[in-house]
Order: sequence, then C-alpha cells, then structure tokens
Amino acid sequence: MKPHRRKKLGIILFIAAGLSVAVGFTAYALKQNINMFYTPTQVAEGEVGAGQHFRIGGMVKTGTVLGAPDSLKVNFVTTDFVSDVPIQYEGILPDLFREGQGIVAEGEMDAAGVFQASRVLAKHDENFMSPEVKAALDAAGASADNHMPAGTN
Amino acid sequence: MWVWFSKLGSPKWFYELSGKWLPWLIAAMVIFMAIGLVWGLLFLPPDYQQGFTSRILIVHVAVAGTSLAFFPLMFVAGTITLVWRMKLADMVAKNAAILGAWFSFVTLATGSLWGSVMWGTWWEWTDSRLVSMLFQLFLLLGVISLRSALEDSDTAAKACALLSIVGCINVVIIKYSVEWWNTLHQVSSPVNMDASSPNGPEFWIATLIMIVAVYLFLSVSLILSTRNEILERERKAQWVQDLVLKS
Repeated sequence: MKPHRRKKLGIILFIAAGLSVAVGFTAYALKQNINMFYTPTQVAEGEVGAGQHFRIGGMVKTGTVLGAPDSLKVNFVTTDFVSDVPIQYEGILPDLFREGQGIVAEGEMDAAGVFQASRVLAKHDENFMSPEVKAALDAAGASADNHMPAGTN
Repeated sequence: MWVWFSKLGSPKWFYELSGKWLPWLIAAMVIFMAIGLVWGLLFLPPDYQQGFTSRILIVHVAVAGTSLAFFPLMFVAGTITLVWRMKLADMVAKNAAILGAWFSFVTLATGSLWGSVMWGTWWEWTDSRLVSMLFQLFLLLGVISLRSALEDSDTAAKACALLSIVGCINVVIIKYSVEWWNTLHQVSSPVNMDASSPNGPEFWIATLIMIVAVYLFLSVSLILSTRNEILERERKAQWVQDLVLKS
C-alpha cells in the first residue's frame, strides 16, 4: 500500500475509533435520561422527585386488576417482583393489557402513594408462541408468569 | 489480491460480471420472497396473545435487520472512495443511501403498525430503539441531500464518504439500544430449535427465509441501480457507446 493511502486509512480508522469512544461515554453519561421508564424498585428507593411527571414500567401483578363496573376506571398493581406500585387509571387499555403482562404507565404519584396514570401502554416481550405451544406449556405447569419485560432489572 | 481489487474497481468489469450474476440473484430472490411471504403472512400460526398481528413482525424484523447493513456497507465504500479513489465504490454508496432510506422508512412504518395495535401507541419519543432508527433515516436523507447540494461530484463523493463513516456508529446504538436502556421495544428474540417452547422453529425459520429474501432484494436493487449509474457516468467511454449501439 502506498504511504499516502496508508496515512489516509489511518486517519479514517482514528476518526471511527475516536467517535466510538466519544459516543460510548456520552451514552453512559446519559444512561438514566435515555431509559424510557423507572422500575417500581427505583420508585420505592426514591429516585423520582416528588410531583415529577414520569413513566413507570413493570408487570401487572396477578390478581390485582380491579375495574369499576360503571366507568373506565381501573386499579392494578405493577411489580418488578421486588417492589410494588399501585396504579390508578381511567381510559381505554391496550388489547394486550392483562395480568402478568408488562406495561409502561405515564403519570405522577399522588399524596397517598398511588400512581395516577394518564396513559397505559402494553409492553410485549421477545417471546412468540402459537396457541398450541402455550397450551402445552400450561399443561406441563410451566406458566408464562415468569416472563419479565426486558430492562426491568 | 491487489490485481483483483483494482479490477473490481473498474466499472466495465463490474458491469459485465454483474450482468452474469443478475439472473441467478433475481431467481433466488423471487423464490425466497415467495416462500417467505406466503408462509409468513398466510400460514404461520398466530401468537397466542397477539393473534395474527404477529405476522407483521416477519416483514418488520427482516427489513429492520437488513436496514442495519447499509451504514457498514457505506462505511466500506466510503473508506475505499477516500483512500483508493475508486469510482465504483462511490456509485455503490450513492445508491445504497437511497435504498437504505427506503428500508428505514419501511422498518418504521411496519413497526408503527404493529405498535399501534399491540402497545397502544404508534410512536414514542422516549424509546431509544425507535428514535435511533428514525435518526438513521434522517442521517441517510442527510447523505442524499449532501450529495445533491454539492455541485462538484468529487467533493460530494468525499463529503458523503465522511458522513457515512461517522454515521456508522449509529448502527451500534440501534442494535444495542434495547439492551443498554429500558425501552418499550422488546429485545431480539433468541433463535430456538425446540418446538415445544417460545420462539419455536417455525417462527424463526420463516423469519430467516424473509431475511435472506430481503438481503437478495437489497443486492438485486443495488446492482441494478449501480449499473444504471455506471452507464450514466461512463457514457463517454468507448465500451458504453459500443454497448448502446449494439442494443
């Protein structure tokens, strides 16, 4: 390879390497800002300031969904299996919302420690199953309850 | 090796060789595309929770995965343009940017379609996977407009090469965004041969066929558009004039 080409190639590789390091550090520094939601444990540990508008992500705890019979109000508990946060919401839930399912809710904590959600989104995990496989797994006793949404750690 | 390398850089040689490859590539593309689309969209079993909506992902995953190949490709082409001044590399890079923008757009569109049904939202600005993918679309649009903004084609080639090299880092961010940060977007599904557990063979083999089909589509489109580019840029060369007169 001719010397001037070697030099140019060196410069390009240097730019690429330098940029990777710079972006890596920036991403690391912005880690919390880039996260889409807080986990119930982070909320319990007081990482969210009082009165702050934020998003919380976790699983809908089995057996906690209580819908009002005459309105769209619904109460449920979200959990990361370490801490729980009760959520109150009024509105239409996504089709995928159900017990044991991952969700992301947006809103703020009220004085009573209940998360007043203005929006609830369903989070799907990376697992896809045909109804037959699901039925077979249920029959074998391995229910889908241990599906943690990614990032809830 | 260097002889072969400089031969590949000759537009005439590429034009003749790609002309021989094209029929085979097109045939393979049609076969894989037909199998992938018919199986993936008509026969794949529904997901137990998502129903038939899960079939959108067969297309989405294949196009999204392939769209991540454009910046690495443009990185290599850009490096060759800057270091070896090979004209062919710039012709490939120019068309890769346009194709890549379409791939990114289809990724975002199919993802939104699925998200609007399953998540309950078609777009979330706070999700790093979604935003980094949108950024890739904007970067590619930036490369395209940079080229058209610069009148001197040599300057344009160098500027686009540099922007492609710099923009390549975004691919790493897109790929690992779902692991580094918590997002609404799920992580990649693991490959699994066991038929009795989630993500069984039928899901990922159908996806794999679609990925091969989409990569073949990419190759065919890129070769066809590069051949056009060669004819246009080399129109004063003797071999192009002979070719035109013959046909």
